[in-house]
Order: sequence, then C-alpha cells, then structure tokens
Amino acid sequence: MSTVQIRDVRKSYGAHPVLHGVDIDIADGEFVILVGPSGCGKSTLLRMVAGLESITGGTISIDERVVNGLEPKDRDIAMVFQNYALYPQMTVAQNMGFALELAGARKEEIKRKVDHAAGILGLEPLLQRKPAQLSGGQRQRVAMGRAIVRDPKVFLFDEPLSNLDAKLRVKMRAEIKALHQRLKTTIVYVTHDQIEAMTMADKIVVMQGGHIEQIGTPLELYDHPKNVFVAGFLGSPAMNFLDGVIIGEDGSFLELGGAGRVPLANGYRNADGKSVIVGVRPEDIGIAEANGIPAEVIVVEPTGSETHLAVRLGGQEIIVVLRSRVSLAPGEQVHLSFEGARFHVFDKETQERLQR
Amino acid sequence: MTMMSASIHANTLEKPQRDWVLVALWATLALVALIWVAPFVFIVFTSLKSNAAVMSSSAFAPPVDPKFANYSGAWDRGRFNTTFFNSVIITAIKVPLGLFISAMAAYALAKIEFAGRKMLLLAILFGTMIPFQVMLAPLFTLVNGLHLIDTYPGVILPYLAFGIPYQVFILQSFFRGIPKELSEAARIDGASHFVIFRRIFLPVSLPVLAALLILDFVSTWNEFAMALVLLQDRDMWTLPLGLSAFQGQFSRDYGQLNAAIVMTVLPAAIVYLIFQRYFVSGLTSGAVKG
Repeated sequence: MSTVQIRDVRKSYGAHPVLHGVDIDIADGEFVILVGPSGCGKSTLLRMVAGLESITGGTISIDERVVNGLEPKDRDIAMVFQNYALYPQMTVAQNMGFALELAGARKEEIKRKVDHAAGILGLEPLLQRKPAQLSGGQRQRVAMGRAIVRDPKVFLFDEPLSNLDAKLRVKMRAEIKALHQRLKTTIVYVTHDQIEAMTMADKIVVMQGGHIEQIGTPLELYDHPKNVFVAGFLGSPAMNFLDGVIIGEDGSFLELGGAGRVPLANGYRNADGKSVIVGVRPEDIGIAEANGIPAEVIVVEPTGSETHLAVRLGGQEIIVVLRSRVSLAPGEQVHLSFEGARFHVFDKETQERLQR
Repeated sequence: MTMMSASIHANTLEKPQRDWVLVALWATLALVALIWVAPFVFIVFTSLKSNAAVMSSSAFAPPVDPKFANYSGAWDRGRFNTTFFNSVIITAIKVPLGLFISAMAAYALAKIEFAGRKMLLLAILFGTMIPFQVMLAPLFTLVNGLHLIDTYPGVILPYLAFGIPYQVFILQSFFRGIPKELSEAARIDGASHFVIFRRIFLPVSLPVLAALLILDFVSTWNEFAMALVLLQDRDMWTLPLGLSAFQGQFSRDYGQLNAAIVMTVLPAAIVYLIFQRYFVSGLTSGAVKG
C-alpha cells in the first residue's frame, strides 16, 4: 500500500501565493501526472510531496501518515530530477548505492540491489563509469536506477525527459511506462508536455495558476474537458475554438462563427441565442463534397500519415487533420463537414463546459 | 584525378596566413614573462657567486665558478633550522585548517536557509575590506592580552581571522553555482548537511580548493608584517623574519643573502607547480559558475 493524499495544500512565498488549496487522491500503484504550463505550481507541489519545500497550509499524507514535518529521507520517496542530479565524482554504481550506504546497508546488500536495478534498466556495462562519460539517456536511466534501488513507496519525477532530444524522449517515455507496469509503484510525475501526460498517465491532473483545473483519466479529459483551458491544453494539434451561438428553442443548432449552421446531436434547452465558445478537435472535421460549410485553405502540411490543413472559416482560422492524402493548394475553397463531430460547447463568460 | 590531387597538394603546402594579433600576443607574453623571470634569474645567479664575483660581473652573467657553499652558509647563519621549522608548522596548520573552516562556512552561507544569513555574509565580506596593517596595533594588544605572543596559536589565529573572509567569499559564490538538485538528491538519499558537504561539495570543489590552497600557502609562507609584530623571540621567527635579519647582519655577502631568498621561495614555487593545473581550471570554473 502506498497512497498519497493531498488535502487543501497551499503554498505562499511571502505574500505571494502559488498554490491555492489543492486536493488530489492518488491510489496505490497509480501513475499520476501533474501537467500545466510553466508557473502553474506543479513542480512546487511535487517538491512539497518530496519535502524539499515547506507546506504553508493543508496536509500531505503518504500511506495515511501525515508527512508535513518529515525530512525528505523519512518520507520513503525517491525523486528523479530534470537535470539528473547525479553525483559527478561517483561512479554509476556508487551513485545508485549512495542512499543504501548512508542508511548503513552492508556492502553485499548494496551490490545485490544495485545489480538488480542495473539489470532492470540495462545499466550493467556502465556501472563503473562516471556520469560525465554517459549520454543524456544513460544518465536519465542512472537517475531512475538510483530511485529504484531504494525501493520507495512513491517515485517522484520532475520533468525527467525535458533535457532529452525528441527521439530519445519517445523511447524513455515507453521505458518509464514499462518500468511502472513492472514495478507497480505509485508514481507522481510532473511535465509540461501534454503528450507525455496523455501517453503515460493513469490519471492526469491539469493545473493552471496554482489551481487544479481538472482531474481524470487521459481519455476522460480528452473527451470531456471541463473548461476551455483543459480543452485547449490537451491534444495535438490543439482543439479549435470558434465563436458560436446556440439556435432554437431546444438548442439543437449551432451557428459557427457566422459561417454556417450545424446540427447538435443533443440540444441545449433554454439557451436560444446564447453566445458560446465551440470547441472541435481537428480530427473531428472532414472535407465534404458539396454540402459542408465553405472555408478557404491557407496552409497544407502533409505529415505522411496525415494531412494537416489550416483553413479560414468565417474570419477564424482553424486546423483540420485528415487521415487521407489530399491534393489541395492554398487559396482553394473547400467544404468542411462536421458530420458526427463531437462539439465541446463552453459558456463564453465563464469558459466552463455548458451543461445540457 | 591528377589535377585534383595536384591542387590538394598545392593547398596543403600553402602556408597558413599569419595571424598578426596572435603574434603580437605571443610577443607581449614573452616580454611579460621575461620581466617576471629576470629577478629570479638574477637571484639564482647571484646566489651562486662569491662576493667578489658579484661586484666584478654583470648581474645577469652566469656564475663562472658556482659557489654552492653559499647555501649551506646561509642555512646556518640564517638559523634556517629554526625559521624553516616554524614556517612549516604555522603553514601546515593554518592553510588546511583555514580552508576547511572557510569551506564549511561557505557551504552554510550558500546552501542552508537561516535567519540573518545575508547579514552574516555581509559581516564576513566586511572583513575582506579592512587592511590588516590598520589592525596591527590592536591585534598586538589582543594577542598580548591573551598571553599568546611568541606562540604558534598567537600567530595562527590572526592568520585564520584575516585569511578566512576572502576564502568564504570565493567559495560561497562557487557553492551557489552548484545545482541545488545535487544537494536535494542527497537529502532525499538521506544525507545530512555535513555528509552533503563532505561527500558531494568538497569533491566537486577540488579545483577551487586547490587554487585557494596555493594562494593561501604562498601568502602565509611569505607573511612578514604580522609575524614581525607577534613573534618577538628569535626562536619563534618564520622564514621572512629570518631573511630580514640576514640583510643587516651580512649586508656585504650578497651571495648568501640570495641563497637564503632562493631557499625561502622554493617551497612556495614547488607547491605552485604541484597544484598549478588545478589552479588554472579552478580560476576558470569559479569564474563560470560563480
């Protein structure tokens, strides 16, 4: 059992608050990713769980034991830092065994545990090297090895892949996920990269400005974002937002950016004439033969497997992702089809998802 | 094919264009080196000449008949047995102890949050701004009041007090440059501040410590004014004091005087040569990280 409870946790630096009361429940073995733009408080929260930052208000419990006043070493956690934080003068083996050495473990035990962790991560040939002799990916793996050796209740990752190149990042992403599936240890992971969050997490916590915007599984958040921020943050290319107006007494039509009218599968009652923000995922839009809403092609970006189109629709620019290859040129007129599209309708004032 | 290889051949044979800035730089460096080396050459040459040879030959003329006896004579007459021993004791205690204390203080000032940290740092920095000559009289009164005149602690303690502030200043700015994640990782691994200092920070700072060691060794070894005030008993004199007495006593024997000077500066030169590769990298790493 290794659960983490974060209850009404606040953090201020002097008079400047950075976390405004955050509640998160993390179940045993869960892979939770805190995601949000720079300065949203996600790293601060992680560092508070680690014990590296003091807690201004609220409680953090690990395994139902409040850890607010405990030193980092007494919290039974291990942390992987963005810049790896390997001890430069120690070998890989010494780096990995340092915590056990400090805890007074016997040499044979340290060696056994270091060898075991090295086996999991494929680090055996590197054990006698110094960090300076390793590549970025290898260093990252050593940092994870250092965490694994301690067999902690909770792993904390602070943007561990940000310093790696794109290709290595994809590889390490898969490795971390595989590692979690193998070890089944609770992980709290911080990133600003929504793709990392979508691909790896059991549960995503989207944060902004010291608040939690939404908590849920990746697909819950993708399919039912609570507000415009979450809708725009998750997904690549990002969701399109159009100004719209709900039409009809049973609210079964949407006027899209003054460019045309589309039917809604389930109407919004008593909302006739309400100004809204309409979110549509780029992949939910298609090209129709004739009957769609007319738009002008601005840019065509073939990626090989998909084609990304930037089009102008009634004065607003949106992105369309097509699974097929098309021969279109900038300036051409197309008809957009929203048939079967999932519309995300948000209140224009509150930016919150509109309830039916 | 033949044409291509011929043109490559011509290219490689072509002289690279002369970089006049580099040439000027080298010439200036050579000149500066010459100016700095000249007195040393003069001293070494003179130390091997008899008094008559000193008077009759040019200062930079190599000794025709090297008089190595100048060295043994100077050693005896300058009481080097005593002064050398005193200098070794004082330097061997003061330099490592001072560095260790400075490093610990610098770590605390750079990495431990506590109330009044900035004020304390300012107070220590203030210590670097006061020339010790201003303090000589009160220092004498203080050391005399503690009955420490003519003792090792009586000179080592003031040396520490005047040496530590600038070392703390340099080291704390270096420690600040060490990523905080390194000490945070160690804290999570279960290390106390002292363990972090000893196992992580000291090894990382070796180049800077080596640089400070050289500077401190040379300045302690050569220190004259404070020793002159605090050490009155000839049996407690250090090398520079012994050297000063030399001049009055044997003012006509330039050979022995210069032999004594060579023997005095030699240990400092040896320490510098041993640590100089760290010294250079220490200066640059301090500059970049600090």
